[in-house]
Amino acid sequence: MSGFLELEKIKRTGFWPAVFGGGILAALVPVINTAVREEVFLQQDGSALEILMNENWQMMAMLNLFFLVASACLLYHTEYADNAIQRMCTLPQKENKMFLNKFVLMCGFCLIALAIEGAGLIFSAVRWFPADEKILWNGVLNMGYAFVLLLPGTLFMLLISAACKNMWISLGIGVICVFTATMLPADHFILSLFPFAMPFQIFAGTVPAVLKNYWIAVGAECAIGCFAAVIFFKVRRLFS
Amino acid sequence: MNIIETKNLRKTYGDFTAVDGINLHIKQGSVYGFLGPNGAGKSTTMKMFLGLAKPTEGTFLIDGKKFPKNRMEILKEVGSFIEAPAFYGNLTGEENLDIVRKILGLPKYSVEEALDLVGLTQYKGRLARKYSLGMKQRLGLASALIGKPPILFLDEPTNGLDPVGIHEIRTLIRSLPEKFNCTVLVSSHLLSEIELMADDIGILNHGHLLFEGTLEELKNAARLKGFPTENLEDMFLAMIAVDNEQRGSRK
Repeated sequence: MSGFLELEKIKRTGFWPAVFGGGILAALVPVINTAVREEVFLQQDGSALEILMNENWQMMAMLNLFFLVASACLLYHTEYADNAIQRMCTLPQKENKMFLNKFVLMCGFCLIALAIEGAGLIFSAVRWFPADEKILWNGVLNMGYAFVLLLPGTLFMLLISAACKNMWISLGIGVICVFTATMLPADHFILSLFPFAMPFQIFAGTVPAVLKNYWIAVGAECAIGCFAAVIFFKVRRLFS
Repeated sequence: MNIIETKNLRKTYGDFTAVDGINLHIKQGSVYGFLGPNGAGKSTTMKMFLGLAKPTEGTFLIDGKKFPKNRMEILKEVGSFIEAPAFYGNLTGEENLDIVRKILGLPKYSVEEALDLVGLTQYKGRLARKYSLGMKQRLGLASALIGKPPILFLDEPTNGLDPVGIHEIRTLIRSLPEKFNCTVLVSSHLLSEIELMADDIGILNHGHLLFEGTLEELKNAARLKGFPTENLEDMFLAMIAVDNEQRGSRK
């Protein structure tokens, strides 16, 4: 119910075209890349999806992160632009509940974008690689894993957007975080735990022990993010 | 019976004291005019009532409920319009009110009712960002009035309205206690406006409550202190000027 309310608030903000546009743009990366480098890809060892993810995911993850940063900024910009947040704060609802609803909404949009991207990857695998019966299931696993790794970044970006009344500040911080993440070595476990670096990890070809570590890290970062959000809204109220 | 009572309510921002230990008594079913020049602390007081600003000292009771313990219960009973209209510019007037309606759990027809009350029905489908200042003001009022809350906080509700609009809104505010059995706290920096709407008046200057009572009591008090009473605006200005002078000499 409340998630739908947040959905209502973003009418006419260009959110839907951004979700589909972003998803399609990212989905086109493996399609175009495979179309122009077919021979290079087919000579590599491994499953179709593993090859496609290794060759394309960095760019796709970067697009996902930019989408995430922009959409988080937009969600709170609608609240701050005409001071709607003040009216919301004078209604019997808690600010952290509104934050949580926005997070759920962002997760929904991430799922839509990832589903489109998954379709692009599967299309490339089916079109150019030898037949693989498990391609659909592997696609779901890879995109599911990508979704889970996006959660901490989504949470922290939303928190940054909630904290900054000026959208350009939160957008700037978000872009800096994304570029910082691209500079961190993806194979260094501790550094890859940076919320904006985690989405660059891929499921295909990763050993179960490492996957487990990332699951734990996502859980811990989400818990920290939620706790930080609760504290932030309480403290902001105290100093208002 | 007082529906709102404050006890030594105080709010400071660093060295600046916005509200300085005020004791308000607002009767149930009345229109209480909160009067004071810009920066007197009217909006800050209302913000404290709504939990938008935390009191530095003092307490208040709204309908027997204490802040901050019963903040959510207080907000369920209050409709508010603070400082300037607050809305989603990307939504129409109707959609804006529908969001408030859903949060308050009100029936669908309450949106139409609120739009009708403030005379915004014919513009309900227009984007709020494209509204004129007066229409935005009306939207803010509709948002406060939706669901006919028992308590209303209206902070300078006639700002930006044309003379006809001002008259309409004044008449509406004046009629609210009788129509919906509600209590209204309305602020303004114009005594001439407050005297047309309010049963009781509270005059605030630099965070101090200079006077609280009916208009008649105000006139009597002013007469005793030697202020002009023929013209209410002059009386108000004289009171503020004397208070400012005394404050200056104390410094």
